Amino acid sequence: MTATIARDEGGAAAALPFAYPRRKRRIKGSSIAILVFLSMCAAFMAIPLYVVIVTSFKTMQQITLGEIFSLPTTWTLEPWSKAWNGLCTGLECNGIKTGFFTSVKILFPSLFLSLGISSVTGYALALWNVRWAGSFMFILFMCAFVPFQIIMIPLIILVSGVGIYGTVWAIAVVHAILSMPLLTLIFRNFYKDIPRELMSAAMMDSGSFWRVYLEIILPMSGNIMVVVLILMITSVWNDYLIGLTFGGFGAQPMTLILANSVITSRGEIIYNVDMAAALLTAVPPLVVYFALGRFFVQGITAGAIKG
Amino acid sequence: MAVRWSRAAPQLALTPAVAITLIAFFGAILWTIYMSFTKSRRFPDYTIDPAEWGRQYGRLFADDVWTTSLKNLIVLAVGSALAIVIGFILAALINHEKRAEGIFRTVFLYPLAVSLIVTGLVWRWMFNPSLGIENFLHEIGFKHAAFNWLAEPQTAMFGIILASIWQSSGFYMALMLAGLKSINSEIWSAARLDGVAFWRVYLEIIVPMMKFTFLTCAILLSLGVVKAFDIIVAMTNGGPGTSTWTPAYFAINAYSIRSNIGFASAAAVIMLVITLVIFLPLIVVTAWQIRRRQAALA
Repeated sequence: MTATIARDEGGAAAALPFAYPRRKRRIKGSSIAILVFLSMCAAFMAIPLYVVIVTSFKTMQQITLGEIFSLPTTWTLEPWSKAWNGLCTGLECNGIKTGFFTSVKILFPSLFLSLGISSVTGYALALWNVRWAGSFMFILFMCAFVPFQIIMIPLIILVSGVGIYGTVWAIAVVHAILSMPLLTLIFRNFYKDIPRELMSAAMMDSGSFWRVYLEIILPMSGNIMVVVLILMITSVWNDYLIGLTFGGFGAQPMTLILANSVITSRGEIIYNVDMAAALLTAVPPLVVYFALGRFFVQGITAGAIKG
Repeated sequence: MAVRWSRAAPQLALTPAVAITLIAFFGAILWTIYMSFTKSRRFPDYTIDPAEWGRQYGRLFADDVWTTSLKNLIVLAVGSALAIVIGFILAALINHEKRAEGIFRTVFLYPLAVSLIVTGLVWRWMFNPSLGIENFLHEIGFKHAAFNWLAEPQTAMFGIILASIWQSSGFYMALMLAGLKSINSEIWSAARLDGVAFWRVYLEIIVPMMKFTFLTCAILLSLGVVKAFDIIVAMTNGGPGTSTWTPAYFAINAYSIRSNIGFASAAAVIMLVITLVIFLPLIVVTAWQIRRRQAALA
């Protein structure tokens, strides 16, 4: 289905440059026009990032002059330390660092839970003869599209019933639940290409579901694990809605602290601190993106239905 | 015994996933649908008054803010569709030129790694009338340039559309690029031999060949629009007034601010219906594609 198609196309994209080497030729006028146009689009994409970075290093004095694109006359790190240590939400001024640590605490359990459940499920559906696998996968495919609002209230009641509402665990569990359908389909699409011969050899050897998984399948899953990991890290870190509805007052992730302090702030707005806080929130996924770009592209095309 | 165990293990391993599907998806959806027919307020109330089962829906569609939300949904969908067009143009140009492909791809895609909250806040800053882009335009001589879109109910949605196009066009570019690369390159040599202009090749051959990719993009975009919440919160928080509410924002607001479970459930059910309507063509087309592929093999 969508995930399958996107993955197949991604595979073709990776293989093509080797199959059809580009002929060398001189730069033509049309090429220059295309490059100029693309560069202008790139500038449009880059401008917001540039403006935020520049603003976060300016003094408020310079910001009130209004030159949004100019470089800082005096570079200052004060907004950054203020954002980290002293950003205010409502009456509290604990900085965005509390949100950072909450987000980290949410991230690890949700990664562990979601990757664990969905890789085992994907493996069982792909390589073991489960009679209702086809219809179950169709149901998962449907579940991946369900709007969050329709399952939100009962989940809040369930989570409160278990007694974890307002903790990082509630947010982590809900992340794992919501990502399960999509991740399972991605894992299943990856595992189904494992050769039959390999599986039957493994079955002869041990025949145990869990031993085959731990000794053969898991060591082969490096690539897909990285792709899924990136997909999950960015979506959990960038999430706002689940944190808002399940975190209560006790567990507010970084995006929530940021939004609360900027949107609900009264009185004078300190733009440089706001922008530094925004950058601090954006840095972890951006680092992942710039470090592992290739996997990131695979992740989002495989996880297309999540966007 | 060993054989039987090996049959039981996969079923056992599937239990968590099946339980999640049954409880957190099926059960929860049915519960919400049920709640939308009750008079629940702050706490769930399980009695349905047969004379008034449609009360929440009646209230919903009598609510002007809900009508605004539905209108905004359409405006946002039509406006952000530009991201698909831009994505295709960028992908076609990158694929055609191939120089510096890596750099352009990196630059066009990075907004996707940035959360919508940050995206919204950044654009909010750029839209700032006295210190942002508007001020810059005034200073370089465009005295009448108006870029304070977020302050006016008529233009606030356009501000949100601009930010979401900025955020998502790289994503559609990546999908389109994957689609373009899977097209047989012999088309290009054939077209070159015939001396057909490259833009005509795109319009008359490539676009029709990629109609399934376009459809996928359109469906993903519509589903994303139905879910639009974070970007609204970050850019306008629904304002000015209630001019930028969306159904997703409405449903959350009905639950968390108005504390009305029945009303929020009704809004969520309508969101689900909209999602299904968008989703149906995808299933039909996928089934059609699979059948065609099977027919081709047979």
